[in-house]
Amino acid sequence: MSTLAAERRRGGLIDRRLAARVAATRRYLVFAVAVGLVATVSVVAQAVLLGTVVSDAMLRHVRLGSLVPELVGLAAAFAARGLAVWAGESFAQRTSAAVTSALRRQLLRHALALGPTWLAGEQAGELSLVATRGISALDVYFGRYLPQAILAGLAPLGLLGWVAWEDWPSFLILLGLVAVVPLAMVRFGRASAARTRRQWRRLSSLSARFLELLRGLPTLRAFGQEAQGRREVAAATEGLRQTTLGTLRIAFLSALALEFVAGIGTGLVAMVLGLRLLGGTVSLYTALAVLLVSPEVFLPLRRAGAEFHASEEGQAAAERILSVLDAGIPAGGPPAGAGATAGLRPAFRLREEGIRIEGGRVTFPGRAAPVLDGLDLALGSGEHVALLGPSGSGKSTAVAVLLGFVRPDAGRVLVGGLDLQSIDPGAWRRLLAWVPQRPQLVHGTLADNLRLARPDASDNALEEVAELTGLAPMLRGLPQRLDTPVGEGGLTLSAGERQRVAIARAVLRDAPVVLLDEPVAHLDRFSEQRLRASLDGWLEQRTVLVAAHRAELVGRIDRSLELPGREAAEAGTDGSAAALGGAAGNGGAALGGETLGAATGLGGPGGPLGVGGGLR
Amino acid sequence: MTDRPDHLATRVVVRRLVQVASPSWARLAGAVGLGVAGAMATVGILAGSGYVVDRAAFRPGLGAIAGLLAAVEVLAFLRGPLRYAERLVAHDAAFRSLAHWRVWLYDRLEPLAPAALRDWRSGDLLARVTGDVDTLQDLFLRCLLPVVVTAAASVLAVALSAALLPAAGAVLAVCLAVALVVAPALAVRGGAARGAEAALRGELSAEVVDLLRAAPDLVAYGGDARVLARVEALDQELTRLARRRSWSFGAAAAVVTACLGAAVVGTLAVGIPAAGHHQMGAVLLGVLPLAAVGAFETVPAVALAAVRASDVVAAGRRLLAIDAVPVPVTDPGRPEPLPGAPFDVEVADAHLRYGPGLPFALDGLSLRVPAAQQVAVIGSSGAGKSSLVHTLLRFWPLQAGSASLGGMDLSRLRQRDVRRAISLVDQDAHLFGGTMRANLTLGRPDASDAEIADALRRAQLDEWVATLPDGLGTPVGEGGLQVSGGQRRRIAIARALLAGGSVLVLDEPTAGLDASSGQRLVEEVSRSARGSGTGVLLVTHRESEAVGMDRVVELEGGRVVADGPAGAAPAATG
Repeated sequence: MSTLAAERRRGGLIDRRLAARVAATRRYLVFAVAVGLVATVSVVAQAVLLGTVVSDAMLRHVRLGSLVPELVGLAAAFAARGLAVWAGESFAQRTSAAVTSALRRQLLRHALALGPTWLAGEQAGELSLVATRGISALDVYFGRYLPQAILAGLAPLGLLGWVAWEDWPSFLILLGLVAVVPLAMVRFGRASAARTRRQWRRLSSLSARFLELLRGLPTLRAFGQEAQGRREVAAATEGLRQTTLGTLRIAFLSALALEFVAGIGTGLVAMVLGLRLLGGTVSLYTALAVLLVSPEVFLPLRRAGAEFHASEEGQAAAERILSVLDAGIPAGGPPAGAGATAGLRPAFRLREEGIRIEGGRVTFPGRAAPVLDGLDLALGSGEHVALLGPSGSGKSTAVAVLLGFVRPDAGRVLVGGLDLQSIDPGAWRRLLAWVPQRPQLVHGTLADNLRLARPDASDNALEEVAELTGLAPMLRGLPQRLDTPVGEGGLTLSAGERQRVAIARAVLRDAPVVLLDEPVAHLDRFSEQRLRASLDGWLEQRTVLVAAHRAELVGRIDRSLELPGREAAEAGTDGSAAALGGAAGNGGAALGGETLGAATGLGGPGGPLGVGGGLR
Repeated sequence: MTDRPDHLATRVVVRRLVQVASPSWARLAGAVGLGVAGAMATVGILAGSGYVVDRAAFRPGLGAIAGLLAAVEVLAFLRGPLRYAERLVAHDAAFRSLAHWRVWLYDRLEPLAPAALRDWRSGDLLARVTGDVDTLQDLFLRCLLPVVVTAAASVLAVALSAALLPAAGAVLAVCLAVALVVAPALAVRGGAARGAEAALRGELSAEVVDLLRAAPDLVAYGGDARVLARVEALDQELTRLARRRSWSFGAAAAVVTACLGAAVVGTLAVGIPAAGHHQMGAVLLGVLPLAAVGAFETVPAVALAAVRASDVVAAGRRLLAIDAVPVPVTDPGRPEPLPGAPFDVEVADAHLRYGPGLPFALDGLSLRVPAAQQVAVIGSSGAGKSSLVHTLLRFWPLQAGSASLGGMDLSRLRQRDVRRAISLVDQDAHLFGGTMRANLTLGRPDASDAEIADALRRAQLDEWVATLPDGLGTPVGEGGLQVSGGQRRRIAIARALLAGGSVLVLDEPTAGLDASSGQRLVEEVSRSARGSGTGVLLVTHRESEAVGMDRVVELEGGRVVADGPAGAAPAATG
């Protein structure tokens, strides 16, 4: 532990911020303080009563019978202390469970409010870790360390106060040694804290390396090198033991310093009291009582020190959670949707007015250049439009705008003549069937994953879409067919199979608007051709936007738009879109005013955010 | 594997864990000795200083207390260093045992990888197993050691009190015994509830990860509210469980305090009359309660040890369950030598399943691949492709039928020899932490630079490697150079080419690559293999990759359903 005071300050800050989020925190902190005071008072009572009993019995030969009230009082003091400990611990555990649960709820709701695009990429992975392991670690911080830290701040002061009142020479000795504690902590704590942290990280990295070797076992066996792996496991563990012990030698110094100070304190107080008793300048009662209290002065400090390391991860997690919660919904976040009027029926006019993006610009936070700029896109009812362009040209972002995952920072999105901002996003999305570039399966059966699109779909309907999308041969190889669990611990699907599931899901949705984002990136040409033929009928009556490298999957393409890629922008084209006439498919209407706006800025330094990667 | 409930008794688990750990008993004894000495120093400081004060109250002169006073000061000085030494020695012993446990686990898992541990690729399983091993270090450090130290220190403290006054010794013994039995029992009740919570927490984690990872899909289809509701229901259940067990840990601590109170009051209650009747020097009266306070210092650690022990035993039980997984393939007693290359590979009427009652993954599969022929094996997930690879690499035995190499049945050959003849490019194309060279020469540690350069050229990696800062010495894998999916697979291919088997088995070599770069990779490997007359078995779910092969075989339901030349749609067989 680095300086206790500094830690307490930092801890205090976290507590206050937590208290602002979760009301139970404040009540808990007040209760912890109250319990600490009860325990402190009972320690003093024990010392006073024990000193009285022993000195009366020894020096004044008082009989046991006359000391019964004091002994009963002594027992009561212990009982009070026990009850305080019990109540404090129980309350700490209850509250920490309630607080962590409340924090998790806030964190998840806030993360979802920040939107799928914000969550994309590493955010989701890191946030999962914070929301699970981090919050559990917070349990340790909140339930164990925090009460100890509060006690460590209060109890020694209270006890020292009593000692000062009772016997000031002992007070001076104890005060001197308690004052040494922070100094010792600084001296040893600074030296060890950084090294210890590094070492614990290395220890966990050894775990990670061991894990790596086990993961690579199939490869090692395939090459007949299993013995080498074994040697590596042994050598790495042994090497780390040696360096770790070197670090522990220093890391344990702070505990040693605390123990040492406590031991010396008690010993010194005993010696001075003994000598003063010889001189008759202190009473036996005072000497015994002070002697009993002096180790208690150091005990809370030692306990807090012992809990400190265990709580470090929790503190880091708390910081992270608070920083997520403090994050406002950024530009490029989803439309608010909160004030949406439930009465609006966008579907009603969708048929006449279609979908339009007018002058759409999207800039992701932390990026100088917009990933989309001046996008004009019109999607008439029943029209099939291809959005083409290289990776990073903003195709997926355009789709995310239509899904309401991303709010353009300029321009507007009109659906059925209404601004998308004014429509309840849930109601709007019910009209959409989306095939993402990297479909994610949720924990559950294949059927569960398909029913995501239509919870009330019958088994027959599921079988039908499986047949339509070419999942049927795979299902025939599975004894549980649609009830086969997928995802973690279940069947591992290839990227192509996941894509088929996503397409099946979209078909099942039976929505008027279909958004396809690189729908066949993981399917080979034969499969794509087959799929294209079988989906023709389903797509026919619907409004379709397909974003892809090349026109894929959709048999009839009425129009194509090409988004300029990075090269185009760098090559210094005049900034207007490289617009393509509707060449593909049935050769639809000409582009007319549908050109994509300026490509300027698309290839700024650092490049546009690869939206393909962004929507992982 | 680790989830199978296993009913090994705790005693058996602990004995087996200790056996595997083969701990350094000298070090553990040293740690116990230092621990007991530290605990006794606490008792000595308190009881000794109590005696000094009591004695001094009768004002006997400095000489009478000087010796004892010095002794107390020495103990006060020594206690910290004793505890410090104990912790270091105990950690040393624990780390040494950890090394044994790790190697043991490696040895157990090695013959099971990958086929016997289905879903090997799910990192979750392995992460749990390695996490369990890490938990084991607490067996000595936080379970056995505190218990043994506290037991020994308790006996000594009781003996000291009994020497002063037998009745006081008896009181202290009873109070310590009650605390040492009741407090851990209460704590363990909370610990057991924590076990139920741990399962729930695992479920909650899975849902949270799902919710965040699949958020786009869920939000788009309106499923986010449902999953969020599920997460919150789990969370509430977890909070309810936590509330229900919240009393137990506090109760354990309260019991320790209560027993200490009983010991203090009890020793005084027997000590005061004894001093009055001169059965004991009155001056010793203060020593008894202080000795009790000292004796109780390590007792709370025992309650924690009990909780920790239930975690350790649970982890140990899961690990020892690996013992129960039968080793699928063992070498024959008298192995035949490998026949001369090149080999025909033949599988005839193969039946394979991964356990009784499970469906046959290979269900009468027959396939003959003449030497140097290039064959693509296609089929969807569950068609039997991976099982065919497991058969050829001898990762899993056939239940019926045969598999042979150059006419020799695989079961009569040593596993190593089979794997020398058949080089595998596995699905994960695992790269180990270490240099590029170490990864490339995994199958041929003695490969010359010229051979490495040749393999790199054939896998079309030579130009890329030339641009690396340290060439072949560049570290890759975990913490090393970030290599793209395509490069990783090329490294795996170069590694397999360098190993020099006469049949190259590529198991989904392009998984995770987009279709066109996957196709390019396969074409290059095929061309390179033709140059050296190496046979190729390409296992893939992408039909278009089969184009450059001599032959395409389609599997479905564990048997061959179509077999024909590449290019055309594969012809159905009877």
